[in-house]
Amino acid sequence: MQSAVAHAHGTRELVLPQDPQFGRASAGKIAMWIFLVSDGLSFAGLLLAYGILRGESLVWRHPDEPALGVAFTAGLTFLLICSSVTMVFAYEAALHRDRKRAALLLGLTALGGALFLLGQYSEYFGILHPGLTKEGLVFGQSAYASTFYVITSFHGAHVFSGTVYILVTLIRWLRGNATAAQIELLGLFWHFVDLVWILVFTIVYLIPTG
Amino acid sequence: MSESPAPGAPPAGASRARQYLTIFFVLFLLTIIEVAVAYAHGHKTEVVVVLFSLALVKAACVALFFMHLKWETRVLRATVVVPLSLPVLYALILISEAAWRRLAG
Repeated sequence: MQSAVAHAHGTRELVLPQDPQFGRASAGKIAMWIFLVSDGLSFAGLLLAYGILRGESLVWRHPDEPALGVAFTAGLTFLLICSSVTMVFAYEAALHRDRKRAALLLGLTALGGALFLLGQYSEYFGILHPGLTKEGLVFGQSAYASTFYVITSFHGAHVFSGTVYILVTLIRWLRGNATAAQIELLGLFWHFVDLVWILVFTIVYLIPTG
Repeated sequence: MSESPAPGAPPAGASRARQYLTIFFVLFLLTIIEVAVAYAHGHKTEVVVVLFSLALVKAACVALFFMHLKWETRVLRATVVVPLSLPVLYALILISEAAWRRLAG
């Protein structure tokens, strides 16, 4: 068994030996994947419950309840996709030890997350328009309303924690305490948030209610 | 001097950046198609099947290329894919069961 310690930005990074099953994947990466699988199953539970409730209901959206804004949310989806791209390029820059570029791209990714949250706030409570809560979509009033708020806010909590995770990693990177491998783990979480949103957007927003 | 790519990263080179941008355009294009399909007044079953298919392709693109799952070992890929396939299988069983009940009723 051979292992080596590489130095990156003054931090010590363990290079693991080749494993017959997991290759050179670090314990951190395997742990992150296992966490993401369990988190994915949580979302799957929510989406399955949504599907069962919707499939069994005679009327899913009542006439006095507002329709969801597909065009606006498509914009939020595009924003998350863009932030996934800035994240992969941040990792790329970190691999090349381009500190400034990696920091800039991480900052842009965090900005994408913050804008997504602002968009979600606007969708719920309204900034330039009334917002769903004022238009009559009230939590607890119907399965349509409750499942919408539970699923989208659960995802929003992930975007919030992901944004905080990015900012913490950005500060550590600027101080020379973070490695490219740690940015890759951060990327796994952020792309997972994007991946889940792709499914939530399709199931909750795009499938016609009629 | 650059740090060696972490295990599971795609092969180095300019092609990697090109690949990321290609995936970005694919995701962008598929999102536009999804919205167009949602607004089109087609048969509901067909619309749902198309939307689910597009969403699964997009999710697979993110997992394989952005999350580098394509370059991981078979065991790690199975560790991720097998448990997450079970809810999909469960959903298919529920949909089939509901369709059967409607046909029978």
